[in-house]
Amino acid sequence: MLLGEFEYLMLTAAVRLGDDAYGVAIRQGIEEATGRPCSLGALYTTLDRLEAKGFIKTWMGNATPQRGGRPKRMVRVTAKGIQAATDFYGAVMRVSRGVRWATR
Amino acid sequence: MGHKVSRGPAMRRICWWSVDRVSRLLEPDERDAVRGDLTESGASGGSALREVLGLVVRRQAALWLDWRPWLALVGVVVPLGMLLGLVSRNWADGSAIYAWLYVNNWTWGFVEIPGARRDLADTIVRFTLNSLTLIGWSWTSGFVLGSLSRRTTWANGSLFCLAAFGGTLAIATVGSQNPFNAAVFSLTFYSTVWPIILLTVLVALPALAGMRQTFRLPTLPLLQTFLWAVLIAILTARAKRGSGPLGLLSLLIMWPVGYMIATAGWQRWRGTAPRAG
Repeated sequence: MLLGEFEYLMLTAAVRLGDDAYGVAIRQGIEEATGRPCSLGALYTTLDRLEAKGFIKTWMGNATPQRGGRPKRMVRVTAKGIQAATDFYGAVMRVSRGVRWATR
Repeated sequence: MGHKVSRGPAMRRICWWSVDRVSRLLEPDERDAVRGDLTESGASGGSALREVLGLVVRRQAALWLDWRPWLALVGVVVPLGMLLGLVSRNWADGSAIYAWLYVNNWTWGFVEIPGARRDLADTIVRFTLNSLTLIGWSWTSGFVLGSLSRRTTWANGSLFCLAAFGGTLAIATVGSQNPFNAAVFSLTFYSTVWPIILLTVLVALPALAGMRQTFRLPTLPLLQTFLWAVLIAILTARAKRGSGPLGLLSLLIMWPVGYMIATAGWQRWRGTAPRAG
């Protein structure tokens, strides 16, 4: 099953963050990488979609004072998710072979 | 200048209060995570409200991909909302004539003369039974609306009230058009306020109570449901003998009652106790 662009960004950001992957951190990772704002609506609905596909697992973490005593929704990418991201990356690399995007 | 200084915190408070209210439409875990994310990222009140609204709209839109909210909309909200509004208006105008007679023209003769006393008692009994019937129908409609799709209840509930109010306020009944009743309906209270009071008390509030009940118990126990169905059937049969556009409503109102019995029977057959949804 091929991923969508935003799903791929989210999986990649989550893998990069490792054990610290949760809502705000993933959002920051995506915004820094793309230079575009990422809404909480897009973030949480995509998390649900990825979880329904079995690409990630989420659970409620501990509450922290800097979050006003509210818990984080922690994210871990599953083996199936890693495979899907690898396939997507491979497809992008293959289709991009021989194409030069740099403007002259 | 002083106004500008004090408006900032007030606006911020309003925005965060709105964030709190709107985020209640999210599931508890998600609500906590989102509020935590907003606090941690230091979002301003306005941007927090935008973010939460965006998420709520996405979540609500996703719920409408299911068939149940649509069944609630097509089967309860539109037909029953409008019909209950129309019946309420019809009965409001009918009762306004008697209310005007007994309240605005009160004389002790109404209780002293045996015939007049019997008429007064009949009127009170008829009004009470009509009110109970309307309350029963509205509660049943609200309950079925809520149990069909709990998470879209607020949207469908708002539309139900809109259909009930919108479907009735612009109409004129035979009673109000009759020139002999001009003295009654020339009074704003009987022509406008009384129908709104009855619509609110006999339709909107019971329907909202029915919807609210489904948050505690989405399916009633079978015996309780059966007794409720019998009561509604008796009240409907009695009302149908009277006047008013009840033929269609009496048929339509039976499907939510049937749905209540079917779901309660299904729960009983599966051997699962009803529980809060």
